[in-house]
Amino acid sequence: MSRLEAKKPPLFISEPLAKDTVSQSLSLLSGILKSCYGPAGRLKQLHNGMGGYVCTTSQSSAILSRLSVSHPVLSVLTASVQNHISRFSDCGLFTAILCCSLIENFKSLNVASCTVIKISKHLLSLCMDYLKSEVCGCRVSVDFSSLETLLCLVRSVLTSKPACMLNKPEVDHLTTLILKAFMFTVPCHVETNAVLGKCVIVPVKGRRVVDSTVLPGLLIETPEIQLAKPLAVKRTCSNMIKIALFCVSMSGDLFNPEEGTITVHHGISLEMSELHQLLNVGKQLVNDEVGLVVCQKVIHPSLKQYLKENHVMAVDRAGLSLMEPLSRMTGSKPIASIHSLSPCFYGSLKDVRIESFASKHFVHLIPHDTVVCSLILCNRNETAWDELKRACETAEHVLQLTMKEPLALLGGGCTETHLASYIRHKSCSLSSSSFKDMDCSRTQYQLVADGFCRSLESVACSLNHDGGEILTDMVYGHCWFVPSGFPSVSNWSDLVSKCGCGINSNTENLNWRLLQGQFGSPIIQGCPKDPSVKVADFLTLDCFAAKCSGLQVALETANLILDLSYVIEDQN
Amino acid sequence: MRRPQPLVRSGVRKPAAARGSRKGRGVGRRAAAVAMARRPALGRLAQEAAALAGAVRGALGPRGGRALVVRPAGQALLTRDGRRLLEALSLEPPTARYRGGGGGAGRGAVRSGWVPRNRPCARRMMAACACSHSAATGDGAKTFVVLLAGVLGGLRAAGGGGLRRALRAFEAQVLERAVAQGLRGHLLSALPGREAEVEAEAEAGALQALLEAYLGGRLGPGERRRLARLCCEYCRLCAPAAAPRPQVLRFLSRRFAELHVAVAGLPVGSSRVLPGLILRRDFAAYCPAGGDLRAVLVTEPLRPALSAPGVEFVVDSEGQYQASLRWISRRTEALMKHLQSNSVKLLLSSVKQEEVVIYYAKLYGVSVVECLSSEEMALICEITGVSPYTPFGDNILREITETAVATFCRPLLLGSKRCVHIGFTSVCAFQPHCLILCGPVDGVNEQHAAALQGAFTMLQQLFKRVDRGAECKAEAESQNEAAGVCSWRSSATQKQLVKENISCSSNQVSERQLKTHKDEIETQIVDPDLQGSENPACVQTNLQVPSNPVSYIKEFSVATEGGGSSRDVQKQHAKCEHPGDMHENYKSDLLVDNQKNCSTAVSAAHNASIVAGCERLGVGKDLEKTSCNIVPFKHEKSCVSIAQNYSNSLIEAGSVLPVGGYFEILLHYYIQYYAKQLQQSEVTVISNVVADALLSIPKSLYRTTERNSFTKFYLKAINALRKNQPLAMNEKGLESVYCKYQLVISVLHCVTELLSIDLIIGVKRPPQKIEDNDSEDDF
Repeated sequence: MSRLEAKKPPLFISEPLAKDTVSQSLSLLSGILKSCYGPAGRLKQLHNGMGGYVCTTSQSSAILSRLSVSHPVLSVLTASVQNHISRFSDCGLFTAILCCSLIENFKSLNVASCTVIKISKHLLSLCMDYLKSEVCGCRVSVDFSSLETLLCLVRSVLTSKPACMLNKPEVDHLTTLILKAFMFTVPCHVETNAVLGKCVIVPVKGRRVVDSTVLPGLLIETPEIQLAKPLAVKRTCSNMIKIALFCVSMSGDLFNPEEGTITVHHGISLEMSELHQLLNVGKQLVNDEVGLVVCQKVIHPSLKQYLKENHVMAVDRAGLSLMEPLSRMTGSKPIASIHSLSPCFYGSLKDVRIESFASKHFVHLIPHDTVVCSLILCNRNETAWDELKRACETAEHVLQLTMKEPLALLGGGCTETHLASYIRHKSCSLSSSSFKDMDCSRTQYQLVADGFCRSLESVACSLNHDGGEILTDMVYGHCWFVPSGFPSVSNWSDLVSKCGCGINSNTENLNWRLLQGQFGSPIIQGCPKDPSVKVADFLTLDCFAAKCSGLQVALETANLILDLSYVIEDQN
Repeated sequence: MRRPQPLVRSGVRKPAAARGSRKGRGVGRRAAAVAMARRPALGRLAQEAAALAGAVRGALGPRGGRALVVRPAGQALLTRDGRRLLEALSLEPPTARYRGGGGGAGRGAVRSGWVPRNRPCARRMMAACACSHSAATGDGAKTFVVLLAGVLGGLRAAGGGGLRRALRAFEAQVLERAVAQGLRGHLLSALPGREAEVEAEAEAGALQALLEAYLGGRLGPGERRRLARLCCEYCRLCAPAAAPRPQVLRFLSRRFAELHVAVAGLPVGSSRVLPGLILRRDFAAYCPAGGDLRAVLVTEPLRPALSAPGVEFVVDSEGQYQASLRWISRRTEALMKHLQSNSVKLLLSSVKQEEVVIYYAKLYGVSVVECLSSEEMALICEITGVSPYTPFGDNILREITETAVATFCRPLLLGSKRCVHIGFTSVCAFQPHCLILCGPVDGVNEQHAAALQGAFTMLQQLFKRVDRGAECKAEAESQNEAAGVCSWRSSATQKQLVKENISCSSNQVSERQLKTHKDEIETQIVDPDLQGSENPACVQTNLQVPSNPVSYIKEFSVATEGGGSSRDVQKQHAKCEHPGDMHENYKSDLLVDNQKNCSTAVSAAHNASIVAGCERLGVGKDLEKTSCNIVPFKHEKSCVSIAQNYSNSLIEAGSVLPVGGYFEILLHYYIQYYAKQLQQSEVTVISNVVADALLSIPKSLYRTTERNSFTKFYLKAINALRKNQPLAMNEKGLESVYCKYQLVISVLHCVTELLSIDLIIGVKRPPQKIEDNDSEDDF
């Protein structure tokens, strides 16, 4: 008899946010994430007690996917941030930290949660309108005809991942490579629906980062190829290499997915018949002047031998992931039948070479149209390589997003402090009809707006891990970091040289104030100005789309969590 | 925000042994096999209901919070839906209580609040009633529980469950009258009238107001406006014309699972409506094609098989085997060629197709989407009106007739998922559009989707109306037959009336009719006394000179202004505006409505009955009735309210009221008003209980506000009603009166049912069966 257990009653927790366990877990999570943030962020080593793989990282994607969160309320937060990362790759930590501090700040206000939600929604719409308007002082437009801003964007992504263990020349080298790889994927001939190509990352571990390189076309790893032999590939009359791409197995095995039985009489070998058919295919390929045969699965050794004898190169076990870029790059269509071959399915290549990196051998397929490229990524050890790979993918994604919306936001905490000073300015000058709309009083609005600004500023503050002071100026609303070890009553202008993003330098009296501490005192804030000179090298820039969405998702998630009045947990 | 009130535990649980022995005494030897319990006492029922109500109250209304429901597998669901909350709360199996130790283990795990109860049957039944009500109307599970708790609590306070029978009588005598004669005058209409152009905008506004109010109870404060706008837009695009809207709404609520796609990780603001359908899978083969394209549906593999289940394929020679394989390949190719020659550009398959099929499809420029779910297939069939194509048979090359036409077909990237986006041309009223719901987590998207689906169900209710109860109809019939004895005579109230009006019933006119007469005449006579300014003669005049329509109108409007506006007066007033319709109205009146019979009698100058009525007045002029009549009905409101046509419906289709407890306050007021006219004790008691219970809903709604306290709202509304002023309704949102009325009826039925149970028998059957039953009757 099957074991039957009585169902357990559901666990019912009312007002989950009022519980200490939640606020403790929340502040713990927020502490972990804050300490990871930025170029000077501290690394986290993730491992289980039983040995095995160790991950050293400071990236939210790696941390959140491995961290198990005890409380369901917090799992909503982490799920939300992970979803954001899966859409945008970037600004995961920003979203998570902002969300945590919004919850903490709003919870401490003595305002009903539905009022808080309404007001914060209004604040968010103020922010979004500002970010999307032309007058926005914390965004720069990206000019694709010059490389400077794009390089800044990629460099900012790489430097914000300290676990990659890169020094400055390595960062510069990789920045160039990533941008180059991205340029390869942009199609030369623009049609109505331009689709970006693909950059395939090829892992080479145990080499120096500066050995990394970008090659147009694809690399397929082939362990059995001898380097010594010169490569002789048959070319067509127009000096092209004809390629046939098979997605069906050419191993000669019989596999029958159908139900029912097949009775074979004695003395008949279906395998032989199958091989015979394969060799027929081989003959036709030779007749059609195909120079290269790539098979997703396995090619029968006899067929391979036959093709080799006829100077047709055969590469098998290419794998499913390469099929799409292969077909895109060569213009061939994967062939799924060994019973009929149509010449219209063949593609063409410019050249085929043999390359080797470290101890690995690759066939290098060079296309005419380079929408597909390979980034050979080297790093010293496995953990650092994994981290670097994630960083490179993020950078590539950021470039793609920037292409859609050619804007970037100032990094280094400047966007956050600038937005905070904009909101402080705006919230003072709101008409009373807006308060009526939101069903709240001016005081309530001010309280919530202050909590919102403090949350934004706390994100900027978490960039600093050395205990120095953080300032903001009253002119541009940018963020300035004072090196640690100076007393807090110094003359600020002697200590700071550039703001967080690097767009403003210490040239005029910018009227600094401390970002943390004096929250009680009313701050009379003018509308923050747009820095006059916008062209500057070595700016820290953030992805516009990712940060905007992160801001919205953080606030929506915080609202979601604040709105919770029960948790009902099924314990079965 | 205040915490929800702690749940009340029903008494102290006795040790299992003690319980057993008590039961043993009750049912003798069978106690070992069958566990029994006496009828759940009213007090206990009230406690059960109060516990449930306490659990859902925190999520009630626009200021309620949401619940995070964590499922056994760990997925989080965010919800404010009463139905889901009740489902999540009452997972306890019915037999748990009878097992050794009961919920002892469970109790240890409970941290706060919810305590497993030792008598879950009644609670499960309440939850089941609430859920089935909510499933039918798309709304009101939480309100149901709160109202139920209110009624049960009130009944307990009023002293016992002996009032069960009186509940029916209350429904027929008080509730229907309160709605028909009191509430009706306050209703607004959300449906367009004849001048379509003007009304279309008003209707869109009403739709938005309805949706915003509905979603206010389902979603967080940050999302509701955005989603209400989106839902409005969606409805408008799916059904551009107003006429087929109910049909389209039914379609939407049935097929919503396939008509929306959720994308997690994007802000809610990114949600949007797209034309066409989205299939949640990638193309197996994609061949771009411009312009209109034809599509076929298939439900079986297109590659012929060598062998099938029960079919043996015998290989005689290698050549034969190869030839068969080649034939299969060629046949597949021929089929694709055939599709191409019929200019079919899209193949939609419910099964996975072989690689070969995909290969040939690419070769012949046919895009393929495979592994469609049966629901998606059914949806496509319904929209396009085609049936799946079966290629095999004697002649594969016969003409393909069953093709759907699509205006476009392209891949679409949603989040990181590649989907198929097809613009089908519809053959039904529904114009294909789909909704993309974005939210930071899946739980939110699920909540939004459930809320929207509920909204479509709720909007359907808008087009329904409430017909008068069977008793009223029976009454009308008996009047037509001029029968001396009426079917409802048995009820206590009416008996009393019969005694009073014994002389009148000899006229072969029904008692109720006379009673209404009496009310009317009384009103007219009493009013001038109260107002002191009106001319009593006007009543006389207009009764005696009905042939002059002009003076008729005049006189009656005077009477109306005087505040002596019973329903009949209003009707006369309305009628006189359309003198041409008068005759027709008479006819329908005669058929259906006792009150109309009365008005017919008046306008046709049936002097005899009026005289009889006047005589009655002289006898029965007691203080209570006079005081009732002091409170005038609102007639100003009725001018802006829906046109009161003379159908037999109690609540017209499209009737709405502003949200925020106005329905409850109005019904409360009118129930009390009509209850006072009755002299029967039990029904009066019930009326008071229900009327007070109704107030528990606005009380819960105003629980968390700082400024608009409930008392303030209540006094303001009741004073306005007494003074015959229009209610100051400052809420923008609207709610369907049909849903609300159904809710009250369902609660009353549930109470009747609960009170009718006299014995709970726990049976020990094979557990599987119990599980089955469980899922069936629960939800």
